[in-house]
Amino acid sequence: MTPDHAIEVDALSRRFGAFTAVDAVSFDVGRGEIFGYLGANGAGKSTTIRMLCGLLAPTSGDAVVAGARVSTSPEAVKRNIGYMSQRFSLYPELKVRENLEFFGGAYGLFGRHLNTRIAETLDRVGLHGHAEDRTSSLPGGMRQRVALAGAILHEPGIVFLDEPTAGVDPVARRRFWSLIRELASAGTTIFVTTHYMDEAEYCARVGLMVAGRLPALDTPEGLKATYVPGDLFVLRGPGAHADDARARLLAVPGVVDVATMGAGLRARCAADAHVRGDALAAALPAEVEVEPDTASLEDVFLAVVDAEAQARGAARAFGEGD
Amino acid sequence: MSETLQRLVGQLRAVVVKEIRQTTQDRRMIFLLTVAPFLQLLLFGFAIDLDVDQVPTAVVDLDHTPESRETIAGMLADGTLAHVATPPSVPDAERLLEDGTVAVVLVLPEGYGRDLARGVPTQAQVLVDGTDPTRANVAGGAASGYLGLEGLRLAQAQIAARLPEGRTLPSVVVRPRLFYNPTQSTPIYMVPGIAGMLLLIITTIVVSMGLAREREMGTLEAVRVTPLPTPVLMVGKIAPFVVVGLFDVTLAITAGAWIFDVPIRGSLLLFYGITALYLLTTVGVGLFVSTVSQTQQQAFLGGFIFVLPAMLLSGTMTPIHAMPAWMQPLTALNPLRFYMEAVRAILLKGATFTEVRVQAAALLVYGLAIMALATSRFRKRVS
Repeated sequence: MTPDHAIEVDALSRRFGAFTAVDAVSFDVGRGEIFGYLGANGAGKSTTIRMLCGLLAPTSGDAVVAGARVSTSPEAVKRNIGYMSQRFSLYPELKVRENLEFFGGAYGLFGRHLNTRIAETLDRVGLHGHAEDRTSSLPGGMRQRVALAGAILHEPGIVFLDEPTAGVDPVARRRFWSLIRELASAGTTIFVTTHYMDEAEYCARVGLMVAGRLPALDTPEGLKATYVPGDLFVLRGPGAHADDARARLLAVPGVVDVATMGAGLRARCAADAHVRGDALAAALPAEVEVEPDTASLEDVFLAVVDAEAQARGAARAFGEGD
Repeated sequence: MSETLQRLVGQLRAVVVKEIRQTTQDRRMIFLLTVAPFLQLLLFGFAIDLDVDQVPTAVVDLDHTPESRETIAGMLADGTLAHVATPPSVPDAERLLEDGTVAVVLVLPEGYGRDLARGVPTQAQVLVDGTDPTRANVAGGAASGYLGLEGLRLAQAQIAARLPEGRTLPSVVVRPRLFYNPTQSTPIYMVPGIAGMLLLIITTIVVSMGLAREREMGTLEAVRVTPLPTPVLMVGKIAPFVVVGLFDVTLAITAGAWIFDVPIRGSLLLFYGITALYLLTTVGVGLFVSTVSQTQQQAFLGGFIFVLPAMLLSGTMTPIHAMPAWMQPLTALNPLRFYMEAVRAILLKGATFTEVRVQAAALLVYGLAIMALATSRFRKRVS
């Protein structure tokens, strides 16, 4: 364990019977880093986070979280982390203060210190004056910040957020993320799972999970450069509406993919093809407006899933895979 | 060390306070835990009356002699049988028996009085509706008991008439004296049993649904990721309901004493001690049920799967010695049975600890075992 790493994961695996949910995943998370963990439903995100939180024992491999091994001392791990899950982990019938008193108490806080921490934390998440509100009466975004308050009351070094913004409106999501960035800049390590690709852009580094494995891990920019290296163009106008527009564009040398986007089309080109915008316009029967576009993490996600599927297909063809 | 202890106490308090807050939030829950058991105790106390009397009876007197009339009057004298119909013939009486108007038919055949007067054997017929075995037993017993005594009396009178002056017949008279419940009042016997059953239902079901609700809501996950030790969570979740159980049992014996004249002859301390041990088993079962249930619905049904047989196989409603031989050993697994035995002994007989130590030990062993089982099941689900 180097002092720079809050989390060190080494060949962490979890099997349920014959099914391998997490397959030899390894990565490190730096102190104060916002680390995003992406993947489709069932890719193994939740299983990974449950192991890192000491809720589930690994089948093989190990991880050191906040200085404690998850395999041998899950209780020590639990003491040093905060956790907030996709389902609001609060008692709706209790008041905000009552919920926080319970979770603070569960983390071993009591007395005046607990009361002080509750007041401080509510201030911090912008819920000053809501201590006596019944939790069920709060809108989703506020409830989510109460849950965050419950996870950081005991000032943990690492906070795990398991799909924290699922089912919350965009304004509340934005506000939540600014809180997360504040926490991180104050030195708290954030490990967050999400399937909102725009949220992943907020992360310093992003790991992409596909079918239990972690094939891609880098900064958002690094991932885009690696997985979506070529130029991207958006085409709008009458030419993009032609029935055979997709086929015509794919016929242009260097174009690897064409997808519908809004009222137009989006063409992705190979890295070294140097396709030019007017070549694409020329391929279409009517007028179009061509604009260069930038890669998103969604492009990365699709490219990684594609590459993984191909790798598996190849492995199967050679009789190596399962 | 003291810091660890302080933290554990703080954690336990957090769970207990949370449980109390959640429970008192819900008015229906307060009603269910306090008022409902009291009402049920009253209802059951009045309704469950095992005394059989005033059994509707039809009398068919085909003899019409002073002797037959005297026999009928004698049979009806103690109130067990109530004369409600006088059908003219046996077939008419059988119809009344069939449609349920009467449960007993007395038939005195023609020549009954004549035979008695001559001192030759005669017959009286008693038809009993056997659909309710208890009632049939009591009614049949009353009729045959009276006729048997009457026969003996007549025989003795005949023999005595032939005895020389001054000689009497030897005889044994049985006069049972009933201890502890001399008036044979059913409530005195039933109220402790009903209290035990109500505690079983309330605590087992409420506790079993409590953890299942947390699982359903997703809060259990949030609790488990905290460093709250499993035993602390378990104890914290059940402690409030043990207190509620002790409150309910206080209500039950108070109402029992005032309304049904149930005596409190033994030590109250012993009574509460036994009740606490018993509650350990009922909440333990509740916890165990909740560890094997995913939803509140499953927990509710699971609770009943235990509660109903436990009630029936406890000796509250029917004596254990009346159960089939293979079933009787099963009752030794039933905490309600031991609680019932101990409470009846303490309240009605004034038993001391020495007299109920077997029951106390059984409750303690079962309580600890089921709690250990529930805790290990709960932990096992994690890995």
